[in-house]
Amino acid sequence: MRFINVILCRVTLLLCFVVSPALHASDDPLQSPMWDYLRNVFLGDTPYQFDDRIVVSVPPFAEDPTQVPVTVDATGLSEKIEKIVVWADLNPIQHIYTYYPLKDVKPNVSLRIKVQQATPIRAAVLTKKGHWLIGTSYLDAAGGGCTTPSVANASPYWESHLGEISAKKFQREAFGRYKFKVVHPMDTGLVDAIPEFYLQQLELRDAQGDALVKMDLSQPVSENPVFSFDVTQPSAQHRLWLRDNNGNEFEQPL
Amino acid sequence: MKKIQCLLCFLLVGLSYSVFAAKLSYLLEPQKIADDTWLLQGKLEDFTRKNGGNIVNTAFIVTEDGVVVFDTGPSKRYGEAMRQVISSITDKPVVHVFNSHHHPDHFLGNQAFNDTKIWALPETGKLIAQHGNAFAENMYRLVGDWMRSTEVQLPTEPLDIAAVPLMAVGKHHFRFFKMVGHSGADLLMLDETTGVLFASDIVFYQRALTTPHTPSLSVWIENLEQLKNWQYNTIVPGHGPVDTTGLAVEQMIDYLHWLDNTLTAAASQGLSMNEVMALPIDERFSGISLTRSEFVRSVFHLYSRYEEASF
Ligand SMILES: [Zn+2]
Repeated sequence: MRFINVILCRVTLLLCFVVSPALHASDDPLQSPMWDYLRNVFLGDTPYQFDDRIVVSVPPFAEDPTQVPVTVDATGLSEKIEKIVVWADLNPIQHIYTYYPLKDVKPNVSLRIKVQQATPIRAAVLTKKGHWLIGTSYLDAAGGGCTTPSVANASPYWESHLGEISAKKFQREAFGRYKFKVVHPMDTGLVDAIPEFYLQQLELRDAQGDALVKMDLSQPVSENPVFSFDVTQPSAQHRLWLRDNNGNEFEQPL
Repeated sequence: MKKIQCLLCFLLVGLSYSVFAAKLSYLLEPQKIADDTWLLQGKLEDFTRKNGGNIVNTAFIVTEDGVVVFDTGPSKRYGEAMRQVISSITDKPVVHVFNSHHHPDHFLGNQAFNDTKIWALPETGKLIAQHGNAFAENMYRLVGDWMRSTEVQLPTEPLDIAAVPLMAVGKHHFRFFKMVGHSGADLLMLDETTGVLFASDIVFYQRALTTPHTPSLSVWIENLEQLKNWQYNTIVPGHGPVDTTGLAVEQMIDYLHWLDNTLTAAASQGLSMNEVMALPIDERFSGISLTRSEFVRSVFHLYSRYEEASF
């Protein structure tokens, strides 16, 4: 299904450029030619509004297009959150991740991504009441991140260290933060002869195996990804679980 | 009347555009900084289509036996302009050219010197061969037409400092040093005759330092501590004004320590990269140009190493 989605994305991306983007004025503050199309892909044909309380932080310029830090902070929202969908309008694969805050977490997520060129970055929050609220930011870049082979691919390091997780807990002001790094090439499948190979699912679980956070990940997440999550109460019982598109599973206590 | 004014305006605008478009000229102004020694100082800016990449210091020394050139600038056009400046000052031929390191603003003027020996550290030659074309491409993107016809011209002479630490040209005695702090292979040249140290990008002054290829900040600091003990009276930094007071090196060491401490503290507090990029920069560095943008770039280059060390 995901694969079909990707294909669909690529085909419609082409269509989008054929059909003149200037036909209808959009309410997108960044006036991206992709907004209406991608909004429809990720949100469906439902009402939405742009909302400054969702803060999407990116650097002023993507110095390294293979490792661009993106932080989505929705802690300013009073509404309860069902999920947050994050994408880059002008990447060949737009979807970056979908984040589900299930319990005891503060919706503040950081990770690094690959970008192919300058692009808007979107974080669409679906509230429990069914409203879509959109945070947005513009990332300037020279490009090349998605079609650059992973560094890992040039060296066999990952083969013997695949899925190794380094993790650390931090006490922030009134909450805790987990930061962890997973060894994985995160190959996009867009580079000649290198098949896609990337982490697809992530869960932060408690002692009972119940998830605090679930995440669906896509190919633009950077090689050897470093994630950070905020939780209301860090615990020695928490565990991290991941699975990649080849079915490899990785698990580690935090 | 209004109509005529308008027309005039259009004409003037048109005229100034065409003048601007036709004339991409670096207007290099040689500064005499010591006996026989001339500096072409770059702007304290980032690469732009307006400055054509002229943000770098290049220099030349006119000896009885010919001219010695230290770095050739960001483009063929710059190299040619530099040669014009040299021939406006002396009839002597250019006999030695040195490339301080493999960053594009320091060697892409080499084409204008293809009739001379071009020296560089052996590592620098390899790095230029490996990355030169990508750097040149990036420069075309950043500064545009200034780069026209610029191609990578490799250094021709590997400089083996162990075998040749000293070179005499005319009355000038040049001593060479290899450091690594800025780019992994940084050539410094001390003219013992005049006491001028050409410090390459190991030293920036009043312009924020750049870190894309530093092996580590602490190695860079060690290099600078070493350099403090040498005998010289004038430092020509890779970027920024000449210094005769020692303040340039102090500023470097101070900033590098601050950067190192800031990144270490940030990693130990678990900050994300974007949080680090937004951190305040100490006021004592506010007089240095481009501090914020270079700080952000340095976080890009270095923070993951600090994160890694904190796990
Ligand atoms: Zn440099």
